[in-house]
Amino acid sequence: MDIDTIERVYRRYAPRYDFYFGALFQPGRRAVIQRMRCRPGERVLEVGVGTGLSLPLYPRDVQLVGIDISQEMLLRAHARRECERLGHVAGLVRSDAERLCFSDASFDKVVAMYVASVVPSPARLVEEMRRVCRPGGEIFIVNHFHHANPVIGGVERLISPMSRLMGFRPDVSLQRFIEETRLEVVERAAVNAFGYWTLLRAQPSRSLAASARRPDA
Amino acid sequence: MDKRLLDILVCPVCKGPLLYDKAKAELICKADRLAYPIRDDIPVMLEDEARRVTDEEMAK
Repeated sequence: MDIDTIERVYRRYAPRYDFYFGALFQPGRRAVIQRMRCRPGERVLEVGVGTGLSLPLYPRDVQLVGIDISQEMLLRAHARRECERLGHVAGLVRSDAERLCFSDASFDKVVAMYVASVVPSPARLVEEMRRVCRPGGEIFIVNHFHHANPVIGGVERLISPMSRLMGFRPDVSLQRFIEETRLEVVERAAVNAFGYWTLLRAQPSRSLAASARRPDA
Repeated sequence: MDKRLLDILVCPVCKGPLLYDKAKAELICKADRLAYPIRDDIPVMLEDEARRVTDEEMAK
């Protein structure tokens, strides 16, 4: 999927996105934000903020910035910020997740929920998330990864040619994602009752200590 | 524009600094000669949506 396709699909979704996906993804969003353990004053970037369903779930004492590729989705997020007076939202920006518009080390925490299976290049997405995250900060990726169950996994593979219509790829494997992005995962957890979504907590860069311990890697 | 946001925004192409033109509602990268529009309070930080800055404007 190229960026124009993604933009077109989500422009179409925008008016009804909250109705279709709001309730479905909200428990996952809540669980993720709890696990992020944001501290007062921390600067947080949410990649793929969409209609801003997650904005009210963050503690009000963080500085939150959200980006998305779709202007239509962002307009809804902007309306939500105004209506619900979400003063902790420092900005909503239209940006390409693979070409971010923030200086290096701008954030303490960077999170991407349900984005990894949408972007054309997960490797470039993670590279940019690393760049804008300060050393010692944390990166969070939430996504559905290809199901190990052969029945569900089979269905996902069957519908994957439809990804241009749906706006996401249903068959991204966790192992391949980690290999491609060289993500240094420090925690992995299921975030909803069915374990359908996976939360990955990672360090922004491979630490020297970790490479020293594994000279063969 | 929130100051907290202005402080960290850079050009997505060269990651260099931007000038904020409040009257025109634009963020300008002099190095790339690109002016990124701000639409409905939302900075549009995409190269394809940016305006080329003219020679006249550069001279200012």
